[in-house]
Amino acid sequence: MNEFITVYSAEITRRLKSRAFRIGLIIGVLGIVAFIRLPQYMEKLAGDSGKSIVLVGDRALTKRAAPLIAKDFTVVGTSTDASPPTAAFLKSHNNAAASLMLAESASGIKVTIYAKDPGNIGAASANRIRSDLLPLNLQLATRMSQVRVNNLLQMQVDIRTVASKFGSVADAETAHNIASVLIFFLYFLIILNSQLILSSVAEEKTSRIAELLVASVQPTALLAGKIASAATLAILQMVIWIAVGALLGSGMSQTPGASGNFTGLSGLFSSSVISPLEIGAFFAFFILGYLQLATLFAAAGSLINRTEDLGSVSMPLVIPIIIAFFVAITALQTPDAGYVMVTSFIPLISPFIMFARIAVSNVPPIQIAASLAINLAAVITIAILAGKVYRVGLLLYGRPPKLRQIWATLRD
Amino acid sequence: MLKVEHVRKDFGGVRAVSDVSFEIPRGITFGLLGPNGAGKTTTMRMILGIYTPDAGSVTWDGKQIDGSMRRRFGYLPEERGLYGKMKVREQIAYFGRLHGMTEPTITQRTASWIEQLGLQEYAERPCGELSKGNQQKVQVACAAVHEPELLILDEPFSGLDPINAEMLLNAFNDLKKRGTTLVLSSHQMWQLEILCSRFCIITAGQNRISGTLAELRSTWPTRLIRVQPNTPSVREILEHIPGAHPIATENGSLDYRVPADAHYSEILRSLVAAEAITQFDAVEPSLQDIYIRAIEERA
Repeated sequence: MNEFITVYSAEITRRLKSRAFRIGLIIGVLGIVAFIRLPQYMEKLAGDSGKSIVLVGDRALTKRAAPLIAKDFTVVGTSTDASPPTAAFLKSHNNAAASLMLAESASGIKVTIYAKDPGNIGAASANRIRSDLLPLNLQLATRMSQVRVNNLLQMQVDIRTVASKFGSVADAETAHNIASVLIFFLYFLIILNSQLILSSVAEEKTSRIAELLVASVQPTALLAGKIASAATLAILQMVIWIAVGALLGSGMSQTPGASGNFTGLSGLFSSSVISPLEIGAFFAFFILGYLQLATLFAAAGSLINRTEDLGSVSMPLVIPIIIAFFVAITALQTPDAGYVMVTSFIPLISPFIMFARIAVSNVPPIQIAASLAINLAAVITIAILAGKVYRVGLLLYGRPPKLRQIWATLRD
Repeated sequence: MLKVEHVRKDFGGVRAVSDVSFEIPRGITFGLLGPNGAGKTTTMRMILGIYTPDAGSVTWDGKQIDGSMRRRFGYLPEERGLYGKMKVREQIAYFGRLHGMTEPTITQRTASWIEQLGLQEYAERPCGELSKGNQQKVQVACAAVHEPELLILDEPFSGLDPINAEMLLNAFNDLKKRGTTLVLSSHQMWQLEILCSRFCIITAGQNRISGTLAELRSTWPTRLIRVQPNTPSVREILEHIPGAHPIATENGSLDYRVPADAHYSEILRSLVAAEAITQFDAVEPSLQDIYIRAIEERA
């Protein structure tokens, strides 16, 4: 146990000091920040530069349009001058970004935008103008009263889901988004940390320090310390990312005037549709999936003699993870499909797929327990078999062993 | 006492060690010799418990080697390796911790080894930045920082300049004085001859000969007699020694190989009576002579 603790704490220290871990952590945090903040900033940037406008047209029309347009734009002035505006005209009206020329016709309002920079106005702004002026347009086109138009536009539409674990479509969509992000996290963390184990074992093997180490500690303690330290740091990394996401997410949900898209992204981290059971399942399946793959990666790393061989030994192990990732993503759409059901019990890939099923559907507890038990059994089996290969491989130099030799080692 | 009894180790269809046995009393320095591929490294790994023998046994003070015992041993493998990015001081301390040492002993011993091996100016530098010789010294410190009961050193002097080799030699002698049993494997016979009090020569995974240097020499059938001046009367006396054979030399002396049981005092008396003798040496076989003969006999 002391050996394990020594290796574990030394590995933690080494990894915390390693550039790869720190850069990965920072990139992850920046990614989360960008993921949540960027849409708002982009919206703000686009909005700020193209938001101030001058309304041009018949005085009565601009007077009625101004309060509607003010929802999305800053109306810096009105004018009745029907000639196409010049840059000097915009400058004289508080340096407005554009002028909206409104004209009434038999079919409603015709809008012509004269912008300093058409790129700042864009299709989104045109849609907003269209939407803002819709009540006025309808009123003018149909000659209905303002009240009747408003009533028609405010028609209530309720959307409900059938036989789902979620109470509404919005909740289902949020859960789907959260699950997608968590599956990506699961994939990213397992791949990243298993690769770290692979390169760490390969470094010890190729630098020949492995022999010095196994003369000092049991190979099993060495392997266990290595894998446990990487798991600890992976969880630490994940907790930091989620904490940053939750912090920004909760901040965002309180931000007034945030657009629909934006609250959807921040909602991934502030939503209540994900239950403690799902969070628990995420961590449980992460641990089980990681332990299986990291042990296999360690065994593979012990067989190589040159760092150039890292890619060739890791490829066969990465492929099942990629397959699992894609099956899990499709499982979010079809959680009850037969192939999803079957693959959610297959070791190595089931951590991704069972988690996807849990996130978006009502999985019977017995199935969750069975998948956990199968994965736990797989962890133990892989640890025994891969541990044997690791013990032998670590001191094996020269030509890489053939499959027959590896098989003989496993049977020994 | 370390007792290696008829150990055997196979790897697939390859027999690395067939039958090796020796005993090493506590506190002595033992030389394990043999050509490349003789099975020395495999034998050392079996002593350390890295490999389990397929047959035979390895015991330390009468007990099988286990995990806790292994932590009291130290090992410098032939193939060198360190964590390139870890600093020298950290690396030595880490191996101390792996062997069960605790603070403040780790810090004290680490500092002591750094000083003894002249590594002060590199102590806070990553090991990967050090020269090969200095890396080797760091590895010796890693292997010995916990003052092991048994220290196994596989080719500790290879690649070292004479000054660094001397520094290590002194360090090993200090360890020996403090009670560490040393097992050395080296192809630099003169160093082993200075350091070791017992030897075992193995070839093709089997014992050839073992014992103290005197015991090994006792198996040597001849001795070399070196006499000066080189005159006809001296030559005539030497020619008449039963079983004597002249050996060509370039230094002007008369060198004769004579049977090991020749009566040197009588020979010397005859020579002094015949000539004014300026040199008379009865040269014992060196460890290298014994080693080469043992290997050649096997071949």
